[in-house]
Formats: sequence, C-alpha cells, structure tokens
Amino acid sequence: MTRNSKAGLALIAPLLVLILAGFVLPIASTALKAFDNPEVSAALPRTTVALGQWDGAAPLPDAVPDAFVADLQDAMGNRAFGQMTRRLNFEESGMRSLFFKARRAAPGLERPYAQALAEVDPEWGRIETWQMLKTHSNPYTASYVLRSLDLRMEPDGTIVKVEPEQAIFVDLFIRTFAISIWVTVIAVLLGYPTAYVLSTLKGRMESLALLCVLVPFWISILVRSTAWFIILQREGPINAALQFAGLIGEPQAIIFTRPAVYIAMVHVLLPFFILPLLSVMKRIRADYVRAAASLGARPWQQFLLVYLPMTMPGVAAGALMVFMLSVGFYVTPALVGGLRDQMVSYYIAYFTNTTINLGMAAALSLLLLVMTGVLVAVAGKLMPGMGGKQGARS
Amino acid sequence: MAIRGFTTPTLLALPLALGLATAGQARDLTIVGFGGGYQDSAREHLFEAYEKATGTPVSDDVYNGEMAKIYAMVDSGNVTYDIVMIEAPEMVRACEDGVLAQIDYDVIEKSKFIPSAIATCGVGGTGWGAAMFYNNDKHPDGPQTFADFWDTEKFPGKRSLRSGPKMTLEAAIMADGVPAAEVYDVLSTPEGVDRAFAKLDEIKDDIVWWTSGAQPLQFVGSGEVDYALAYTGRVLKAANTEGLPYSLHWDTLLYSIDYWTVIAGSEYEGEAMKMIDFITDMDQLKNQAAVWAISPAVKEFIADPEMAEKNSGAVLNHSDEGLFIDTEFWIEHGDDLNARFASWAAQ
Repeated sequence: MTRNSKAGLALIAPLLVLILAGFVLPIASTALKAFDNPEVSAALPRTTVALGQWDGAAPLPDAVPDAFVADLQDAMGNRAFGQMTRRLNFEESGMRSLFFKARRAAPGLERPYAQALAEVDPEWGRIETWQMLKTHSNPYTASYVLRSLDLRMEPDGTIVKVEPEQAIFVDLFIRTFAISIWVTVIAVLLGYPTAYVLSTLKGRMESLALLCVLVPFWISILVRSTAWFIILQREGPINAALQFAGLIGEPQAIIFTRPAVYIAMVHVLLPFFILPLLSVMKRIRADYVRAAASLGARPWQQFLLVYLPMTMPGVAAGALMVFMLSVGFYVTPALVGGLRDQMVSYYIAYFTNTTINLGMAAALSLLLLVMTGVLVAVAGKLMPGMGGKQGARS
Repeated sequence: MAIRGFTTPTLLALPLALGLATAGQARDLTIVGFGGGYQDSAREHLFEAYEKATGTPVSDDVYNGEMAKIYAMVDSGNVTYDIVMIEAPEMVRACEDGVLAQIDYDVIEKSKFIPSAIATCGVGGTGWGAAMFYNNDKHPDGPQTFADFWDTEKFPGKRSLRSGPKMTLEAAIMADGVPAAEVYDVLSTPEGVDRAFAKLDEIKDDIVWWTSGAQPLQFVGSGEVDYALAYTGRVLKAANTEGLPYSLHWDTLLYSIDYWTVIAGSEYEGEAMKMIDFITDMDQLKNQAAVWAISPAVKEFIADPEMAEKNSGAVLNHSDEGLFIDTEFWIEHGDDLNARFASWAAQ
C-alpha cells in the first residue's frame, strides 16, 4: 500500500467506522436474530444431544426421554427453561403447560421414562411432540421468517400455510406497500405544481413561500400527527366546517380511517418531495421552454416533451425518498389510523415491546428491508431518472 | 470478585454505591412500586410505620414495570431491590424464571388474603380493573351490561375497547350470554374462541380501539365515542376531580391484582417477608385508606363496611360483580389469540 492510499484510507476511516457501526453491524445482527434459536439447546442440553442422534422417525429411542428427564431434574428454577417454554408455546399453544407439567412430575418419575412421561400427559406419548422438540433443538430456525410470510413448518419438516384466521403478515406487507405507493403518488401530484410555483417566485415571496414548506418540516412528526387527530376527529373543525357549509348532515368518521392516514402521511412527507424537486427546477433555465415555444410547440408539448423530462431526476429523488420513508412509518398510522390501517412497523414495535419476541421483530424488519430493496431496484430499472439510465441517454 | 468481572455499568455505579456505603453499613431494605399518589401514601402510612415498629431502615424506589432491570440485577448478583410490586403475568413469568423468591407463608399469614391474591412468588398487593362507562348527560338510559354494549340498535353510536384480545374476548363472550364463571372454560376451546370472534364481528364497524389508558377518556370526552371500556381509576378520577358526568358500570368489571414479590437473592429476604406481612395488616391499610383510594387484596379490608363506604371505587370491593382476568389463561393462549386478533382486526 502506498503512502497516498494509506493517507486516503485514514481520511475516510471515520466514515467507514460510521457505516460499519451504524449500518452494517445493526443490520447484520438483526438478520442473525431472525434465525437465532438458542432456547431449547440452552434449557435441555442433554436432550439436544440425544435428539441430534435420533433420525426423527418412529420409534423414539429411549436415550431421548432419559436425557429429557435428567434435564428436567436440573431445570428447577432455571431461567432458560421458562424462556424455552415460551419459545415453544409461540410455535404451538399448550406447549408451555405441557413442559411445566413434566417438570413438576420429573422428581417422581420412574423408568421407563417414555412411558412415565406419557402417563403425565398423553402428548408426551406422541412422536410429533418429540419431532417438534428435535426441530427446535437446532440452534437456527426458519420459523420466524416463515411466520412473517404466514407459513409454518410441520413437525416432519414440510412447509404449509398457517390457518387463515392466524394469517396476518402477507396482507400486512401488501398493505404497507400499497399505502406507501399511494402516499407517493399523492405527494407527487400535489408536490409537483407546488414546487413549480415555488421555483418561479422571486425575492421576498420566494423566502416566504419556502418558509411555509419548511416550518412544518421542522416540527416533530409526533406533534403534526397529533394535530391531525384533533383536526379530523368527529367533533373537530373539519366536521364542524362541513356541517356548517351544509355538505354533510351528521359528523363523519374521518379519524381512524384510511383517508386520515393518507392525509396525515402526505402532509408529513410532502416537504421531502418538494425540496429535492425544487432544487432541480431552480437550475432549469427558462430558455429551453422558450426555445420549444419558438419552434412551434404547444403548451402541453412544451411541458411534456421539454420541461417534464428535465425535472425527472428531481421527481425520482423526491418520490424515492417519500416512498422509503413511508414504508417505515409508525407514529402517524398508529395515531390517526384504525387497526386496519397499521403497517409493518406497528408489528415490529409490538413484538419488540409487548410480547418481547425479538425473533419475530427481526424477521419482519429483515423482510421489509429486502422487499423495499427489491422494489426500489425494480423501479430503478423501469423508471427513467432513477439509477444509471439517465446518464446513458444524455 | 475478579476485576475483569466489572462491566461499565458496575463501574459507573461505583461512586453511587460508595455514597450509599458511607450513609450506613449496608443498604436499606428497599421496596419498589409504580410511584404516584399511591406510593406517597404507602410511604407515609406503610413503609415508615414498619420502620418505626421494627427499627429497620426502609427506603423506597419507583419503576415502570420494566422487568429487564430486575432480571439484570439477579443475573449480576447485585440485587438492590428487595420487595417489588409486579403485575400478574410478569410475576408468573419471573417466578418461572427463578427471579423471584418463593413467598414464605410461615411468616406471611395466608388467611388474610383473597384466594386470587395468593401465589407461589407473589402475594396480594392491590387490585385494578376496567369497566364500561359513558357520559350520563348524553345517555341517561345508556347500556348496563356487555349485552347492551353490543346492542347497536338500542344504543347506537361508537364503542371503544382495548386494542388486543385480552379483556375484549372476555367482554364478547359475556355479551353472548356466557356467565362470568364459565368465561375461561369457554374461551379455552376453539369453538369458544370462534364464538367470541363471531360476536365481535357484529359490532366490528362500530369499535374504536384504544391502546393507552388515557385514550378512552379522551374519546368519550371529545364525543368521538359514546361508550367505552376504561380503567376504573381513571374514570373515577375524571368524575371526582373534574366533575364529569361519568358513571362506572361495575357489572362489566374486568379486574386483576398487582402482587408484592421478593427478589431472589435479596440479602433481606427474611426481613422482606416480615415487611410484606406488616404492610398488608388491616391497621396499616386503614391509615393509608384515609388518604388514598386503595384496593388491597385483603379480606378484612374488603369486608369492612366503613372502608367500603369511604372508598366505593375500590376495585376488589366489586369483585363479586366482575370477572378476574385469568393470568394463566393469557400466558398460555396469549400468542395464539394475539395473532388471531391481529388477523381478525386487519380484515
């Protein structure tokens, strides 16, 4: 390595450290957490070894229940045991009480243990129970990621859909991306003319108009979302105004509906579209449009063929920013939306804070990241102004 | 202890620990609760009374129910809390995980408490609950039961329930005619769960869900919602201090208990048991009840007519009208029912 490249490396070292510590490591650890499955092997070390030597087919070798009972006798007041029962109960309701029943009975059990356990609860006599234990004694699991796609693994290893009344996440991902796309489209439709008008203003008017865009941008998302809650509620100003104008008879339910989510999210995200677009529009000289006009282009041709293509990089940058931010939105839908309007982040927060199921939270985060990445990459291929196509054409 | 065993938090805690060490030989017996007016009254009438009666120095601290801190204490072997008030599901979990000491019923008199307040690792602290309420001025002849709450023809308007299956499924199944005593038997069967969700379907479009305890009062206050299930303490506070025309319908009460527990590995385990026995004695509770609306899980307190008259909002005085939220049921079925509720609510 030459002295120059060493010096260069030293100069970008802070950036590298930042990217590594703030970006690569958290994402990598989240990705690992989505597959991590230490609970069974930590709580039942001997059983894990015995299960590893079993091929999973009936009959169950005696070594497994022997090891299991030995583990149970050590498991009194053992933290790992409680964590394991909750882990398995997440896979199948009823597992927790099954294990506690076995642990309570363990000191009094006599050989042959397979039979003694089956007398404690007939579930222990079923090969499926042991197959499930074998599946989850593996230190890695796909079940969080599968569950995030409304799938689950049967004890014999086949992957099936979960029961329809337990299915949440496929709809949730579709809803998250649908809301984000709509918010982006509305932001583009509202933001484009706004940015255009802003770009034509001069002097004091320009500063004033820009301030109108920037001031809401500087206010906390939480405050703005709460403000929308007050404005949109049944006895709030919007309903009162509509009633006063005679447009509606009864106050309408606006809050806790999808339109409320769109209104509040677009309001919060609009500056992210307007500002990058404005900076592009500012740099477009009026000469081009004038030239088009002098060559006989009609107004719509001037716009569609000359002005719009030149603003596309700004539109793409702004739309991308709005889309990416809305995919991860949490506070706004949680405050103004109903349960049918919540996005993936709502469940990430729910699994992190309420049920403390970090595996699920990590799996949902990971899938959201991957899907957003794929969608943006596809959009970049399809739309001009995103990615390298623009450069190739000019 | 080896030096390499020190972590940053321990090192940071060192000056604090030294500061405490100079104040006395060891740390005081420490009792921890959720704070607020309740704890102020408890400090004055329970904790200081114990200090006076036994000469044992007692100090108290406040936490938000975050169990991670308590787990960390037990893991590091640096237990600085002795007695902690914990909510029922967390108490059962922590007990299974070996973070709590078993209650010594040779020291603590078991017969003082109502049956639901006696557990392996926890013993009756204080009751809390949620019940239906609404604005009486707006609805002078409003709903009285969960069946009425579900009757949108007789009682049109929006309803508000807690977002989640807990308390919601209980309400639904009772609205469907199941008596309180059979609620959890019915909900333990798949058919029972189907039945509860079918009942919820009936009013799905009329429900506004709340996630924090302040919301149902806000909703009813702003007219967003007509009838709501809300924490009784908050409703009574709004009615008594702000003079709002709210009334609680105790027939719809769903309640639970926060427990006194002792942290495993506490150096004052024996002393802690004695203190719990002392602060659940009728004499001390009477003094506390004079200044704060408490609802201890103590039989004699609940039976005392004088206490009942002074403190009509005490949750456990209404336990025969209400339903005890089954802690075990929710630990066992919580994951499943949460998933099903989320799926149902999203459609």
